[in-house]
This record gives sequence, structure tokens and C-alpha cells, in this order.
Amino acid sequence: MTDYINELTFLTLVLFSIASGLYFLSSYNRRIAGAAFLLSVTGLITASLALIARTMLIGRLPLANGAEFALCFAWFTVLIYLIYEVRSKNGGAGGAVLLIAALLIASILILMPNQLGDNRPLVPALKSPWLTSHVLTAVFAYGGFALAAGLAAMQLRTTASPQGDAWISRIIGISFIMLTITIVLGAIWAEQAWGRYWTWDPKEVWAMITWIVYAIYLHVHRQRFWRGKNSNILAISGFIIVLFTKFGVNFILSGLHSYS
Amino acid sequence: MRILRMIYRFLSSMKTGLIILGIIGLFSAIGSGLSPENFFQSTAFKLSLILLLLNMTLCTFNQLYTYANTRTKKDRMRTNLWRRIGILTLHVGMVLILIGGTINAFGGQSLPVSIVQGEVLDISEVINTANPFQVKLNEFKIEFNDDGSPSQYYSDVSIIDGDNVTEQYSINVNNPLIYEGIKAYQHSFGYLVNVTGESSSGWEAQKTLAEGDLFDIQGSEKTVKFYKYIPNFDPNYGLETKSLRPDNPRVVYSLYDKGKLLKVAAVTFGERIEIDSENFMTFVDLKPFTVLTIKKDPGLLMASLGGLMLMLGTCLALFLKQTKQEELP
Repeated sequence: MTDYINELTFLTLVLFSIASGLYFLSSYNRRIAGAAFLLSVTGLITASLALIARTMLIGRLPLANGAEFALCFAWFTVLIYLIYEVRSKNGGAGGAVLLIAALLIASILILMPNQLGDNRPLVPALKSPWLTSHVLTAVFAYGGFALAAGLAAMQLRTTASPQGDAWISRIIGISFIMLTITIVLGAIWAEQAWGRYWTWDPKEVWAMITWIVYAIYLHVHRQRFWRGKNSNILAISGFIIVLFTKFGVNFILSGLHSYS
Repeated sequence: MRILRMIYRFLSSMKTGLIILGIIGLFSAIGSGLSPENFFQSTAFKLSLILLLLNMTLCTFNQLYTYANTRTKKDRMRTNLWRRIGILTLHVGMVLILIGGTINAFGGQSLPVSIVQGEVLDISEVINTANPFQVKLNEFKIEFNDDGSPSQYYSDVSIIDGDNVTEQYSINVNNPLIYEGIKAYQHSFGYLVNVTGESSSGWEAQKTLAEGDLFDIQGSEKTVKFYKYIPNFDPNYGLETKSLRPDNPRVVYSLYDKGKLLKVAAVTFGERIEIDSENFMTFVDLKPFTVLTIKKDPGLLMASLGGLMLMLGTCLALFLKQTKQEELP
């Protein structure tokens, strides 16, 4: 089963990487864009199969360790990107978003190569009904921020459109709701498990910093100075902080969230 | 008066609030990499939180005032009304969280305490409470997974309130005891060992030792130090245990003569140790203890309410805003 999961994950990486490259090349060619879309859907299917296989191996939803989270994160990012592409009929951000997803998958294979085959039981602190809701909302939030960053990068690369900015603020708004719910659910869980709803643990601190950056974005993105380029830079900066919260905190700073 | 108005306008403005939030974010980023335990307790950081609390409170009053003056206008659509309520709710939520945290900082208490199995802890000795009660640890146990890793830690306790044993609880990780506004969390655990000593001259002694404690051998200058309990001893793991499950328990001790180390050894429970030709000692059995964090947080209710309002308000403010944007391509 472990080999099967690793092979599916590797295949997903290959598919997302090629899809990303094709999206970047597809500016003036609808056939290439169609191929990129198909490869993204195929990659989403292989990622889904990897997640199903992982679920069968461990007997619970794969939401506990770092590799499981990264796989869910990449899966959801591509899923909402494809929904966005179908709804907006615009594949301009595909290159950037699929590249983000490919890098997330690559991080599993490079930084956490053994975690997808690890079927050790959960530690007592993670045995809580709050785990699923806390992590799922984080996946939704992070996936949305990834898509928003991809769109913002596209806006900066090409001629920015008001529709593009409207999509970005809409996606960030919904993702911000999810991040707020993630933080509050995490606080409720921390109160139950550790006896303190806020411990200034590095993961909490960086989730709060992420929240602050996107709160600032939501307050200012329509103001004249911030509209367009500056708010897009803010959206990309917010996502860089999301990535630091996910990877930087785990690999550079230590804390109570060391398993995530 | 004019200056006061200017100060009020500055302190209550959204721009000031965003700047304070930005500063808190920047400080937090720096603090998390330096010395988090000191940084987030520093006066400067607390001051920035108090400034945020002041700004959010004034900002919320301003919004309430504006809302009160515009609610009757015909051009307020129903969706916008809910959105406005959402914005107000989330700001009030943040204010309540900050007030709840401040109350806890001044009136809250949280302390780890050890209770040996079979012994009683008087809560009033740990924490100030109007309704003191006692907690008796009936049993501390660890449940294991098949691979020997701990599945759950349980402290089975009785609550003694006055002369009556009123309640029985099983405290475990993610499941604290809540009684009379006090919470007790499973924090840690450990083991004491019961030892006996004897000599051919008729000396006999028994004692309970914690890790690092000494046991003096009477009639000599020899001392035994209880170094460590290893639940699953494996020579390949050195002095670390292979797992927490007691598959191969050993006690590691060191023997000293006039303070000079003579030997370090690992023995099983019940094994008779020959100190010298006259003196013997035995590590008889284990006595587990639990470490519970006893906590009182008078601001928790307010912070919880604030958290719920923050969630609900954010959903109302932003989700309704999203559904309103039907003009999206």
C-alpha cells in the first residue's frame, strides 16, 4: 500500500508539473490550454487516489501529519482552481497555481519522504473530534489563499483586470472566513487538550500573522493606493506567510504543533 | 477639547487599528524566532495589545453609533444590514477575546501539581477558590497501542467535597476534569519506587524514592542513588526506554562510597542487590504519580463568547459580501 501511495504521489507531481508548464505556454493556444486542464484533472484524480489509499492504510482521514496536510492542501488548491477555471473561463493563473501544487507535492517527497507510509497510531493529543474540523478548515483556507496568490501573480504578470481583482478579493474573503474558523476551533481544542486556548506557540503566532495580513488586505484592497498592484502584492505576501506557517514553523521553529 | 477630539479620532480610526495590527504582526514574527516565552510577556508587547483593545473598543462604538443613525434609511438593503451586523459582531468578538485574555492575565491561575497514586490533593493549596475540594488519585494508567506507543494517559480520580466523595472522573488528554470552575488537565506522569534495605546485623529500612533520590545504607558510608526507571529496557537503546509499555522493566541505580561512584547497574524489581558482604537492598515495586495542570480562568467565558462572535461575525460580514457580488464574471 505504501509503494502504491508513493507512486501515486510521484505521478501527481509529474502531472501537476507538466500541467503547470503547459499552462504557462498556453497563452495563445487553446489546445495546449485544454491539454493542461486535462492533465490537471488527471493529477487531481491521482492525488485523490493517493488520499483514498492513505485513508485505507491508516483507517482515518489523512489530516494529521505534515505530508497528509501537504497532499490535502495541494489537492484542494487544484480542485478549487479547476472550479474557478470552469466558472471564469480563464486559465491564465493555471501555471502559477499548478506550480504551487506541484511544489507542495514535491515538498512531501523531499522533506517528508516517509510520512505517507507511516501508519503509526495517533498520539493522544491528536485523538480529538476537533482534529478533522480544525485541519479541514485550514486546508480550505490555505487552498483558497494559494489560488488567490496564483491569480494575483497573473494580475501582476499581465494587464490587471478589475474582474481579476474581484475574484481575488472574493476568494480571500471566503478563505479568511475559513482561517478564522480554523484559529477559533484550534483555540477551543487547545483549551481542551493543553488547558490554554492561546499559548503563543509558533504555529499559533504565524497563523495569527497570516490572519492579520489578510485582515489588512480585506480592509484596504479597495482603497485607491492599494487597489490593483499593491493589493495583489499583499495577496502574494500573505501566501508566502501561509507557506512559512506550514513549512517554516515546522522545520525552523519548534513548538506544540511539531507533528503537523 | 480639540486636542482630545483629535486623540479620540486617532485612537478610534481604522487606520490606527490596522497599523497596530501590523505592528503586532511584525513584533510577533520577530518574537517567535527570538525568545517567545519572554517576548510575548514583555511590557511593550502587552502595551500593543492594550492599544489594540482600546482601538477596537472605540472603533466598535463608532460603528454602533453610525449604525444607530443609519438603520432607518430606506437605501439599506437587507443583505447590507446583516453584513453590518456581522462587522459589528466580529469587532465586538475581538474586544471580548482581548478582555477575556486580560482578565485571565490578572485573575487566572495555572499550575502543574503531582499526585501520587492513592494520595489526596487539596485544591485550595494550589489555587484560590471559594469552594475548595480535594482530588484523590485512585489510579494512574497508560493504555498502549499494539506497537507499544501510548494510546492514552488516564488519571482516575475521586472528588472529595466536604465529607463526601461526590464524583468519580477519568481525566485524560483532551478530556479535563471540570468542577466548581476549576479545571484539571492531564499534563505528565512519573514513577516513584519503593525500596527496602537490610543487613546481617539486623538493620532494616524502607523508603519511597523519586528519580535522583538517595538511599543511605546504615552502618556504612555507602549510598544508592535511584537514577531512572526504564519500562522497556533494551541494551541497544542505552539508558533510554525502547517504549513506555513495561515489557522489560528495569531500575537503573548508582552506588557510591564516600561520594565516589563505585558502579552503575540495571536491576529488575524484587532482585536482591548485594551492596557489600553485610548489606543488601531491593527495589520492590513502582508507585506511579500523575501530573495535573490545575487551572482557573475567570476570563474564559468572555473569550469563548468572543471567539464565537468572531467566527459568526466574519461569516456574516464576508460571506454575505461574497454572495452579494453577483456581478463577478
